[in-house]
Amino acid sequence: MNLDAARLARGAGRLALAYAAALVLFGAFVVTKGANPIQMYGDMWRSTVLNGTSIGQVLVKASPLILAGLAVAVPAKAGLVNVGGEGQVIMGAVAAGGVALALDGTLPGGVMVVVMMLAAATAGGLWAGLAAVLRLTVRVNEAITTLLLNYVAIDLLLYLIYQPWKDKFGSGQPATRALAVAARLPLIGTSKVHAGFVIAVVATAVIFALLRWTSWGFRLRVVGGNAEAARRAGLPVSALLISAMVVGGALAGLGGMVHFAGAEFKLRPGMTLNFGYIAFLAAWLARHDPLKVAGAAVLLALIAIGGDSLQLDSGLPAAAVNVLMGLVLVAVMGRGQTTRRSPKVAGIPAVAS
Amino acid sequence: MILPVEVMVGAVRGGTSILYAALGETVSERAGVINLGTEGCMLVGALTGYAVTASTGNPWVGVLAGAVAGGLLALVHAILVLSRGANQLATGLVVLFLGLGLTSLFGAAYVGRSINAFKPVGIPGLSSIPGVGDVLFNHDPLTYLSYLAGPAVWWLLYRSRPGLILRAAGERQEVLAAYGHSPLRVRYLAVVAGGALAGIGGAQLSTAYANAWFENMTQGRGFIAVALVIFAAWHPIRAVWGAYLFGAALALSPALQARGYGFNQFALDAIPYVVTIGVLVFLGRRRAHAAPEGLRKVFEMSGT
Repeated sequence: MNLDAARLARGAGRLALAYAAALVLFGAFVVTKGANPIQMYGDMWRSTVLNGTSIGQVLVKASPLILAGLAVAVPAKAGLVNVGGEGQVIMGAVAAGGVALALDGTLPGGVMVVVMMLAAATAGGLWAGLAAVLRLTVRVNEAITTLLLNYVAIDLLLYLIYQPWKDKFGSGQPATRALAVAARLPLIGTSKVHAGFVIAVVATAVIFALLRWTSWGFRLRVVGGNAEAARRAGLPVSALLISAMVVGGALAGLGGMVHFAGAEFKLRPGMTLNFGYIAFLAAWLARHDPLKVAGAAVLLALIAIGGDSLQLDSGLPAAAVNVLMGLVLVAVMGRGQTTRRSPKVAGIPAVAS
Repeated sequence: MILPVEVMVGAVRGGTSILYAALGETVSERAGVINLGTEGCMLVGALTGYAVTASTGNPWVGVLAGAVAGGLLALVHAILVLSRGANQLATGLVVLFLGLGLTSLFGAAYVGRSINAFKPVGIPGLSSIPGVGDVLFNHDPLTYLSYLAGPAVWWLLYRSRPGLILRAAGERQEVLAAYGHSPLRVRYLAVVAGGALAGIGGAQLSTAYANAWFENMTQGRGFIAVALVIFAAWHPIRAVWGAYLFGAALALSPALQARGYGFNQFALDAIPYVVTIGVLVFLGRRRAHAAPEGLRKVFEMSGT
């Protein structure tokens, strides 16, 4: 038996063990709350994987997660840490919502969708780009600024929907008026899945191709590997770093638009449901490989939808499913690594100029 | 109450929970480990503090339990980061989600329950000084304790031998190892102690500030604490001032609204974050140099 196959098998075994351990541990927690874990998992399984409408819900939920996950993965290739997905998603939703309010009824639905997408991608890209510019000009770390900008974005959203953009004829809840039906993302065929999922899948394929087969992708990886060497080799490091962050932010912004125009239709408090943070974890779970990021996003969306079953069938709070998500991540991230990165040789740059 | 006094009272009242968490994060980061899960540690501290106070009737026991809970959650972070080599930022978020989930799972039973909470105790004499008395000397015991916590952490870090060892673990762990200490053990202790302090901060929130438990009640205070540590350039005393600055910003909008100014609360709520970014922009370069060496790998502060 060759060594690679053995290593792969061992890796898969460990991964399976990690997932199993997370499930067992969460089951134990559930027992302490007086619910039957076997029945609970059965309900979760039946109500997600075996249920057509729920699979639709999972894909609807996964769409913004995939886009926000790519928003972490692209900057990561260039060695940047984007913790600001949440804020960028919100800025995208805000931009889409603003466009919808401003242009309501003046454009045909299809054109409106495109305008909203452009506005959302621009807003998300600028929001993330700001962090990249601060990193390059005053050397403030982008992980910190993107994190702080999340809260600024949340407050901006709340400000808008509590006052200037609030629906005066609504129920009094702080929310904008609903997006016109014509401007909503169409459903795919007869399913309950909206076209946002197609956008997410296409984005995944495009990003995969860009990173793998274009010189931009190659250069990002060089910068991510050794920025100093890249600079000496004459690469425009600053422009590359900014482009990676802006592309990431634009993807997250698109995620916000997809969620707004495909599922929510109104801007309201708490509408993003921690998408940015969950997507950050999906990206790390997948080690920033675009295809795996999409897979991890679907998995986490599945767990989140399972939370609804938790509430309906077992009478536990829906947010309790975060325990299961946390345990899965602990188990997967904490399992032994079978593949090792090539060791860095101290003091010797990887690329000479 | 005149506006500046009211805002300063609010600064101390609202800033105390952040103060504890920021001091904890300072200890952890000084040893070279950043914990984005501080928010989660505060949440489990808040719920555990509340639940134990509810069942024992003694808020001090509650706070102690909150500290233990926060420390245990931080231990998960420590194990993943220090023993399993996982990425610190990602693991911190995992810890946050664990905290969110665990507290909603076990906290549902405590929503709407009342407890024998900490009560404000005026310090005789001092509390009747106009202005100052209300700002500083008319609070719950955990707030008084927090006045000592900042200087205590400063003394521990900069004047004591354990503090020197802790900082060495964050700066030059090879040197520490050469002197026969285990950097790993020091880091474990620092991360757990940091989580315990965040747990105390959370417990202060539920048993002394809000006197209630509700899901996700920390509302980003843990993240503020992480930001504060950088704002404060990893210095405990500056972190204390930063916590009060945040508290003041949080207190400003209700105080203005009560006086009939039509301020939108959320525009004001954004101020602390914008201020922090502004401070980082103006002091960025200098602050970056103050970062513990061990953290630079996480932030990749060198290069570019």
